[in-house]
Amino acid sequence: MDLTKDKMNTLLVFLPSLILVGYFVYVSIGWNAVVSLSDWKGLRPSYNIVGVAQYVSLSHDPIFWISLENNLLLISLFVPGSLFLGLFLAILLNAKVRAESTFRTIYLLPFALSFVITAALWAWMYNPSIGVINSLFERTGLGFLKSGWTTDSSIAMYSIILALVWQFSGYTMLVFLAGIRSIPESQIMAARVDGASSLDLYKRIIIPQLKFPALAAFVVLMVFALKAFDFIFILTDGGPGYSTYVLPLMMYRETFSMTHFAYGAAIATLLFAVVMIVVVPYLYMSSRRAKE
Amino acid sequence: MTIKNLTKKYEASVGVENLNLEIKDGEFFILLGPSGCGKSTTLLCVAGLLKPDSGEIWLGDKLVTSVERDLYVTPQKRGVAMVFQDYALYPHMTVFGNIAFPLEVSGKSKTEVETRVKAAAESLGIFQFLDRKPKQLSGGQRQRVALGRAIVREPEVFLMDEPLANLDAKLRVHMRAELKNLHQKLGTTTLYVTHDQVEAMSIGDRIAIQKDGILQQVGTPEGVYDRPRNMFVGGFIGSPAMNMLEGNLVKKDGNSEIDIGISTFELPDWAEEAVKEAKRSEIVLGIRPEHTTIIAEYRKNAIQAKVSFVELIGRELNVHLTAREEPLIAIAEPTERLEIGKRVWLAFDESKIHIFDKESQEALF
Amino acid sequence: MTLPKPERIILYILLAFFIFTSVLPLWTCVMTALKTPQDVIYTMPLEPPPSPTLEPMIQAFEIMKRPLLNSFAFTMFATIFSCILGSINGYILTKIRFRGSEVVFLLLAIGIFIPYQTVLIPLVMTMSRLGLYNTIEGLILTHTAYGIPICTLLFRNFYEDIPESLMRAAKTDGAGTWTIFRRIVLPLSPPMFAVAGVFQFTGIWNDFLFGLVLARGTEALPASVALANLKGTTTAFWNVQMAGAWWYALPVVIIYLILGKYLIQGYMAGSVKG
Repeated sequence: MDLTKDKMNTLLVFLPSLILVGYFVYVSIGWNAVVSLSDWKGLRPSYNIVGVAQYVSLSHDPIFWISLENNLLLISLFVPGSLFLGLFLAILLNAKVRAESTFRTIYLLPFALSFVITAALWAWMYNPSIGVINSLFERTGLGFLKSGWTTDSSIAMYSIILALVWQFSGYTMLVFLAGIRSIPESQIMAARVDGASSLDLYKRIIIPQLKFPALAAFVVLMVFALKAFDFIFILTDGGPGYSTYVLPLMMYRETFSMTHFAYGAAIATLLFAVVMIVVVPYLYMSSRRAKE
Repeated sequence: MTIKNLTKKYEASVGVENLNLEIKDGEFFILLGPSGCGKSTTLLCVAGLLKPDSGEIWLGDKLVTSVERDLYVTPQKRGVAMVFQDYALYPHMTVFGNIAFPLEVSGKSKTEVETRVKAAAESLGIFQFLDRKPKQLSGGQRQRVALGRAIVREPEVFLMDEPLANLDAKLRVHMRAELKNLHQKLGTTTLYVTHDQVEAMSIGDRIAIQKDGILQQVGTPEGVYDRPRNMFVGGFIGSPAMNMLEGNLVKKDGNSEIDIGISTFELPDWAEEAVKEAKRSEIVLGIRPEHTTIIAEYRKNAIQAKVSFVELIGRELNVHLTAREEPLIAIAEPTERLEIGKRVWLAFDESKIHIFDKESQEALF
Repeated sequence: MTLPKPERIILYILLAFFIFTSVLPLWTCVMTALKTPQDVIYTMPLEPPPSPTLEPMIQAFEIMKRPLLNSFAFTMFATIFSCILGSINGYILTKIRFRGSEVVFLLLAIGIFIPYQTVLIPLVMTMSRLGLYNTIEGLILTHTAYGIPICTLLFRNFYEDIPESLMRAAKTDGAGTWTIFRRIVLPLSPPMFAVAGVFQFTGIWNDFLFGLVLARGTEALPASVALANLKGTTTAFWNVQMAGAWWYALPVVIIYLILGKYLIQGYMAGSVKG
């Protein structure tokens, strides 16, 4: 008797979460996919199924390709950039540094901040006339390095990537530092006694053992590179022109500014598919590894 | 190897205090003591992994550590090889990779590396594991890989930090023999740290016993066994531990005796000489269980005791007794019948007694 | 790792350089927030204000007062709800063995990674159908729902480390599943509540997308969207914008400085372990 009462209570208590997540995540994903197959345009929902017509138009849309290109640019520069910078900082901090925790706190602070804040900060920093970056260059005689930054369509995307690397390197540093510190001291001692220089030590002993932390950070960064919206929306809103358009931004504009709901849903579904391709193998692999 | 005035203090404990040791070339030298006694600290200083607060270390005729002269040769350049308690194998490399690492790091050619690694693996019986990863090996096999990594460099000194501590008892005994064999074959000077006195006694050429950072005694296994310099060494070496009885030195009719309350123990003549120097009369009489026998009836110098507990250790009995409320142990044949509570007489082998000054805990002879 | 002297110097130079780069944006923000509009234009952003003024801070606060309050409200509630549900779920998934608990967990875990654009359209429609569009309650519901996966993950990892023997002992003593939860597991949980709470608080407080899409009207406007609006307008000059950023950042910065170690644990979840 008590056993079933227990089970009832368990179900009761688990249900809200199951319902909430089930609905807000899975039902919503499905619903979104259905919308993407419809022809909904304008403020009145329409559920005429038109098959993959939206996706087809997407493939012909130059803005889509620009956005995709920018996302790929993000992936190819932001992800490695953050990883390397973080690794570098972690290696620096792994030496016995005085006031290490102070350094760590400061390096990690940007990551804790909202993208709204950092977008505002960088907007101010990147201001071509009175922003700090160009001013500094001017004052230190490096005037030739001045640029329009986010107002210059040829380097706007790179400016964004730089700002994002700045924000995320504290996180990758954290992950790598923890990874380095989890290597038993005796291995380090053994390597040094065996004649390894610091370079050897890092190259052959420490870095090879950072595979798993690196992978975890990699997945987090990848997913971010695909779904980044807040920062770009506030800093450049896709401009100048379409030079900083990314897929999430395009989806937002199509859906909420131009009310092309089905079109936007198609972009969203694509985004979901790509993210799943990255995430699911990783989750599967790490749950298997956790079982060992 | 020479260690002079080595001192290294920690916040929470004294690591090592004023250690002086001379280790002969080719010796298998043991640093023995309970945990926290400073032996690992000493080893790490010799390896160059720790900087002491003061003192000097010489490897051969090369000064490698000198606090006074601010000289520290890096571990890489000391020509020492170290084996750790947790083996410290690199998990992402194969056995071959692990053993090859020191050679590769010093820039040896690929062919040379291969030959030497294979030879080392062969000699330790792990040749067949060369392309496996450490996690696929058993404890004993990993131990051998760690050894392989050490010997492949043909170093001048081996440093070993309780390498057998993580192995199960049987394997430990086996590996002890192998280590000794290896040492005989290679003849390399070895500094070996352990807390296991049985291990120290069985494989050491000489043993240095430390307690709380201070050196207690240095000597051959027989030396520290037969002539412990203080109560600590006496009690630490030998298992079961030495029996200790408190008493007073008294002179009676020109002979010295020890009054242990329930009876008196007349000292043999050879002991008289040594005891003449005694400053105080409060002493502790030490006698090992293996030199304590249970006899049927009273003899001169026997004391009375009551059986409290009997342990059968296969080939003999450890008989736990109490005399005057103090615990003692005697060794007896397995065939003896001893019930708990039985009163017996204990005789001591008079040539094997030790007398310690109660206050200073030092041996009088 | 001990390095010789010359390398030590290079090390510290590098570290200082990165301190400079990390702090630069924050420094200019603070400086600018205390300057008059003239100073903003005519002095170097790095320089302290020649005539410091609290005007921008006051102005920004006036604008952000209500949004900040809104943010506090829904952030607090959503944090509390998602943490409670997370701990319950974590308990169920680790201590109550049932078939498919691994699968359920995986499904929940995927919820952590989904790009929110994917569910935006249904979300908006749901909220307006429920009459929760442009309300604090709507935001609470949204953030709670999307916070459940990560909270569940955090608590599940934490509860896995509680030894099974503790549970068995309690069961043999006759305790039912939820008694055990109340009297044994929950009392062990405060550190985890700190981690999940801090992580959720900063995550929800920092959110922008949901606020933008669900609550642009003035009643439920979150501080994040309000700050973004500041940027767009020409009435709010740089100093007011920077001041606004300060007000918005303040709670998070305080939490980061005081409870930072809990936040870090949250970031690390799943990064070093499996």
